[in-house]
Amino acid sequence: MPEEEKDKALVVFDYIYHAMRAKHVLDEAGFKLREVAPPVDYRTGCDLAIEVDATDVDAAENLLIEKDVLILDILFMPKGAKLTPVYLTKLIKTVDYGDYVMVRVGNMKITYQKATGSIVNISGGGCPDIPFLGMKLYGTIIGQGPRPRELGKTICAYTLEHAYNKALEIYQKQSTKKGK
Amino acid sequence: MLLLAGTIPVEGLPLTYGRVSYLGDKLTIGDYTLEGQYVTLGTAAMISAASVVSQALGAEDPLAFVIGDTGMGEGTVTLLKHLTDELSAIKPSVVTLHYILPTRDTFINFVEAAHKMEKRPFMIADAGALLNAKAVKLAQKFDLFTPDPGEISFLADPDAAHPAYVQHFIFDVDQTEVPRLSQEAYANGDAPKYMIVKAPIDHVIVDGQVAGVIKEPSVPAMEPIGGTGDTITGEVSALIAFGLPVVEACTAACKINRVAGELTKPNPATTIAQFIPFIREAAKKVVVAKG
Repeated sequence: MPEEEKDKALVVFDYIYHAMRAKHVLDEAGFKLREVAPPVDYRTGCDLAIEVDATDVDAAENLLIEKDVLILDILFMPKGAKLTPVYLTKLIKTVDYGDYVMVRVGNMKITYQKATGSIVNISGGGCPDIPFLGMKLYGTIIGQGPRPRELGKTICAYTLEHAYNKALEIYQKQSTKKGK
Repeated sequence: MLLLAGTIPVEGLPLTYGRVSYLGDKLTIGDYTLEGQYVTLGTAAMISAASVVSQALGAEDPLAFVIGDTGMGEGTVTLLKHLTDELSAIKPSVVTLHYILPTRDTFINFVEAAHKMEKRPFMIADAGALLNAKAVKLAQKFDLFTPDPGEISFLADPDAAHPAYVQHFIFDVDQTEVPRLSQEAYANGDAPKYMIVKAPIDHVIVDGQVAGVIKEPSVPAMEPIGGTGDTITGEVSALIAFGLPVVEACTAACKINRVAGELTKPNPATTIAQFIPFIREAAKKVVVAKG
């Protein structure tokens, strides 16, 4: 029998930076959550909201406040309200260029050198922190240097974090194979 | 006059403006000089490309407005407010808006100010400005967008507020998907009259219909190089400001980028800094030599 749909609450943020931190904090604490686009009135084009069960929202809010994550608002959603989820896990493509691998997730691409794991290029996106992340990540070894979610503040950075994770997974598999 | 605007990822960089000049590996904007890695990131790559093409054509140097912003948006808001106030005094013929953090009111006010001018400038958007224009339903207040495959998927999805929310993404641009998505985006009111869809096969779109396809020279290693889309935006901005008809300028910009790619002989680790110097020769081959 399908699980009965629960009432949902939506945590919305002024800045994606705080949404990304909230996702990380709530994930670590074991909350059941979904990343979704906020309702139209809250959108600017660079948004991410976190949907949790309404029964969990007080605990989630307290934890986020404790961790200095700034919340813009909490909205209680009518049962059956449809919000657009993030589709990033379905949007992955990898291209093998011989000595290099490019991983594309959504509109973001990251390319690393197979032999060293060194990040050689980042492409895509349109928010101001993407060139900033390029400066900080170029030349670092994937999995050892700064991560997009630590430095990024926009949904393009959040997308890049997914690409980074996929690239890291591929690189680690390749390294393990080589080590065998 | 060509006006280029966007953010630069330099914390604390105040609003900086003036004529631009790319020389060697330095980009000068008014009295301010960007060097090294700062020259070739996002907005700076676009401005550098526009400067190099303008120089190759013997055109006047573009004017640029930049400000520091690493993603929190303060720079974006200051920049847009300033442009909103000053646009009618500057009287640009072409305005290109590039890396910004999407906002609501400040962006809408800027677009309205441009449309209130006695002679409205030709309006180009790419990167954050493109995302912003669609999200606040002002795409058709612009004249030209320069999306990549991810961005055209986003423009064609009426429910998506950002490429991360697109339900049906295309990765491989083919002769079916780009025309279909371009047509849908235009029909939904989420695309302007002109678009360049930048990809391994470039498409020039007019009123939602394909007006040109550019495939050669083909340089597959350009795809991973961050900034090769930004340079097309700079190139087409310079060509339109120079007076080329829009479709001709779009086609020429795609060719210039490809020829520059061929001259660079890139691999996936090539940087946009290594690519930009070849734009001058490419522009001469594609535009100047043909008169």
